[in-house]
Amino acid sequence: MRARVVITGVGVVSAAVTGDSAALGAFLVAPFAPTARALGAGAVAALIDPGESRRLSRVCQFTIAAARLALRESGLDPAAGLGLVVGTEFGDLASTHAFADGFLARGHGGLSALLFPNTVMNTMVATTAIAVGARELALTLNAPTVAGELAVARATAAVASGRVPAVLAGGVDELDPVVERELERFGFDAERRSEGAAFLVLEPRVAAEARGAPVLGEISAAAWRALPARPWGVGRTCRSPAIEAVLEAAGARAADLGWVYASGSCDDARDRWEEQVLGAALGSVAPVSTLGRLLGRHAGLGVLRVAAGAWTARSGLLPATDGATRVERVRPGRGLVHGLARGGTHVALVVDAA
Amino acid sequence: MEEKEVLDELKTILVARLKFDPRRAAETTESTPLPKGVAGSIGLDSLDFIELSIAIEERFGIAMDENQDLTEHFASFDSLSRFIAGKLRSA
Amino acid sequence: MTQVVVTGLGAVSPYGVGVAEYWKGLAGGACAIRDLTLIETDGFRCRLAAEVPQPLAGSTRRTRADRLAIAAAGEALADAGLGTRDCAAAALVVGAVGGGMLEAEAWYWRTARAGVRPASLAALRAVLPSAHAETLGSRFRLGGPRHTVVTACSSGAVALAEASELIAAGVVDVALAGGVDAITRICFMGFNALKLLDTAPCRPFDRERRGMSIGEGAGFMVLEAEARARARGARVYATLAGHGMTTDAFHVTAPEPEGDGMMRAMRAALAGGGITPAEVQYANAHGTGTPQNDRIEARALARVFGEGGLLVSSSKSMIGHTMAAAGSLEAIATVLALGHDLVPPTANLATPDPDVPFDCVPRAARAARLGCAISNSFGFGGQNVTLLFRRGVA
Repeated sequence: MRARVVITGVGVVSAAVTGDSAALGAFLVAPFAPTARALGAGAVAALIDPGESRRLSRVCQFTIAAARLALRESGLDPAAGLGLVVGTEFGDLASTHAFADGFLARGHGGLSALLFPNTVMNTMVATTAIAVGARELALTLNAPTVAGELAVARATAAVASGRVPAVLAGGVDELDPVVERELERFGFDAERRSEGAAFLVLEPRVAAEARGAPVLGEISAAAWRALPARPWGVGRTCRSPAIEAVLEAAGARAADLGWVYASGSCDDARDRWEEQVLGAALGSVAPVSTLGRLLGRHAGLGVLRVAAGAWTARSGLLPATDGATRVERVRPGRGLVHGLARGGTHVALVVDAA
Repeated sequence: MEEKEVLDELKTILVARLKFDPRRAAETTESTPLPKGVAGSIGLDSLDFIELSIAIEERFGIAMDENQDLTEHFASFDSLSRFIAGKLRSA
Repeated sequence: MTQVVVTGLGAVSPYGVGVAEYWKGLAGGACAIRDLTLIETDGFRCRLAAEVPQPLAGSTRRTRADRLAIAAAGEALADAGLGTRDCAAAALVVGAVGGGMLEAEAWYWRTARAGVRPASLAALRAVLPSAHAETLGSRFRLGGPRHTVVTACSSGAVALAEASELIAAGVVDVALAGGVDAITRICFMGFNALKLLDTAPCRPFDRERRGMSIGEGAGFMVLEAEARARARGARVYATLAGHGMTTDAFHVTAPEPEGDGMMRAMRAALAGGGITPAEVQYANAHGTGTPQNDRIEARALARVFGEGGLLVSSSKSMIGHTMAAAGSLEAIATVLALGHDLVPPTANLATPDPDVPFDCVPRAARAARLGCAISNSFGFGGQNVTLLFRRGVA
């Protein structure tokens, strides 16, 4: 018997907005592209102890800050059993360069024991688990483009199956100068990218209601599949098994979806492919918002879009993403959050009002 | 090198290698305990001590014998400075 | 609940290519830990590793790790007899850590030393752990759910657990899953800097043990819903009867001293399979050879199974710590042990540690009637996974 999965907490850390579901809602009502893509130096200082921060790399600090915001909003006690699933595209590459640079510059004396654990991509999960006391399953999922959405989908499955009493599902990425330089050198800098972290607390509906937790939305179905495409290529197949799977699981038809959050981010070829996939599955009826075009893509944004979906389901408002500071009115209630990566990995989630 | 100079170098290592805030590092004295869990210590754990050993080997050019139990030398800045100064003298 | 069975195996190990070579090496107790040849080792304390013998199959345009993965995954798919239509619906879960870092390091080192900036975007994209899933998914036309897990040293085991969850939940009825890692400079230098490596080949559970040895390889399994396997007359190696995954939430590198997370993972695996500790005859340990891991793991094993309650051995004594591949290569060793009623030994075990209250099968494989066996993988950051295998089908 599969449990119904609800969102009881949201935490976001980004240049555009930092805070819980209320802060996110206030942003989505009047969305704008921040002048800086990167987070400022003190962005998460209030959420991380100075004693802790000494040992935490920047990307780990983003992760812990957003996780703490979400947990605080939900009021969940981790001691009751908490899992952790974090999606990331690049992990802690900054620490990886720094570790290599230390050796290249100074030889053996330049090797850093403190940096070494950060060269493994599970470092954000390892440090966040310690910071919040998550002792059940803990996963780091690495994927191009859709790592955040994937983490939410995987976490939803874990809660629905009863394997874990609650899960912190998040995404995080940090802007990395080496990556940015190489993308530019090879002419792949059209896509808008930024950095940040976002988390959701996911619990079974019954448990959330029993403890009087805020129920911010429900994830009625989640699925991920792979469309045929060469690695990092754009495919031609438009029929989406993931969208079919979630519509069936949610008992929904395309016409029931009032809105869509898609993963477009100005990678024109990929964005077009996603438009074709969404068009094939849903027709062109539901309005689409692509926050990546406004805010820049990172794994945290994938999770933020699910939280935004819950907000839209409640409010009947959908942020415009063509640069103008406005929202449209849409039919409140259920809609779709979707992500499609080059190479074909794609994720679909049906999100409902509480 | 005298113990006082060694202590100053260790404070530099605290900032450069162990990522301490410069003000926190400046506040430490010879009697400040190092290991986590000791009252008034700067709270170093096992990974910090490995980093500190690597930094000491690099900065002072001495080798730390891994077969020897060095715990007592790492108890405070005072004991560590004396240990390092002693190794430098006998080098 | 859908039973999950193992219908295909594929391995590239420090013994060579293929499952047959792998089992031959393990059963013979051969230690494959030797002088490192793939990277510079001057001035490092430990200069050993268990490398996959050269030359590797596959195109030199691909990363070393991708080539290992393709060979092992291809063998598993062929072994299971999966055709194109099976693959089109199959899930893919990969456990990875280093990804294509060996090649990215070579580029980065050259750039730093000579200011040269070769490499292509394709080469750089192949760095990330997720690259293997992109390569395998495309190469073998796997159209089901695809994801990559990075849980440090337990990644290969987590991949198998993840695939079994997808099958048990009815999302798919067949999956390819496993882990892969190639030697990297960062891994070699980092473990050296942490002084976690023995300067001799590692000696798990030995009183004189001094640390790990690193290794590389790839191990993949085809997992299937039991009903589907039976319907098509597939050969079943074993049932993946249960799994447990927990987190220490204690320290980024050191294991929690009481082994509580390890114990919970083992208990969850047994509970998932409806198996009591007395029904398990063998544990393929994480057994890295570090003083800490082996002591704490032995304590956790004793708390679950009782002192002397089962045979314990460490494959890392022979193939080293193959990082993201360890969990899946060692799961394959466990499945083969069940099939052959033969427990692979702990090599280099000269003086068993008196604080380890188990027969760790020193130096020579042991014939034993095996019904159930577990495989433990405990990753950096306290990421603990136990897989429970049962011979045959329920």
